Amino acid sequence: MDEPRATRLVQTVLRCYPARWRRRHGNEAAELAALLIRDGTRASSIVWSYLAGAARAWLTPRPGRRLSTAACALLVAAGSLGVSAGLLATTVPARAAVTSQPHGSAHCRPGPVEPAPGVIPAMGRPRVISREAGHGRSC
Amino acid sequence: MNGRDGRDEQDVLRRVGEASVLILISLADGPKHGYALIQDIKALAGVELGPGTLYGALDRLERLGLIEPLPADDRRHPYRITAPGAAALRVHLDSLERVSAAGRLRLRLGGI
Repeated sequence: MDEPRATRLVQTVLRCYPARWRRRHGNEAAELAALLIRDGTRASSIVWSYLAGAARAWLTPRPGRRLSTAACALLVAAGSLGVSAGLLATTVPARAAVTSQPHGSAHCRPGPVEPAPGVIPAMGRPRVISREAGHGRSC
Repeated sequence: MNGRDGRDEQDVLRRVGEASVLILISLADGPKHGYALIQDIKALAGVELGPGTLYGALDRLERLGLIEPLPADDRRHPYRITAPGAAALRVHLDSLERVSAAGRLRLRLGGI
């Protein structure tokens, strides 16, 4: 790769850094890259190094950004918890239906029960089955 | 090294990575800017620091108060090691020396 092209590529990669970083190090980083290329360092290794550095610069939490990072982490945790609960709710009724079949007892028949209003069917169903299944006895 | 006498708590450089330690060692004999740091570390340890790695480590060390920037000289920002930085480096090098001595002793005892 010729020097002007490599320099242009480095300039492009440096734009991937946060603005705060560019204001602080941008000019020096471009000059440093030019000096390293002149010394014989491969432009591709400089570009990769800056790309990895840019990713780290975005991912490293700053003191002022701690609150928003914590909020994001909480949101992600809540989201994954919701997905897990949803998956659990869809598998429990199926398992309950399978385990109640061999006895064939009249007490254990869930029957056609409608979910309570305002309850998501998938979430409401397991609760209804356990109430119908003989007042806490195992069926 | 297992924290029996509180050495782990003092050795703040234990988790900052090799690049940060090399930068502190390079700055121990005087202030340097980015290009001079890369050249010095290459001569000192045979390690070619990538520029992205260098700036990441400089930011981390500055956040920890172990180095500080000096007024810019044209585009270049020289950095110098702070007193806490020098103390942290001393503790870390002492710790490395102890590990190194233990390793050599075990090699001797093992007859390898």
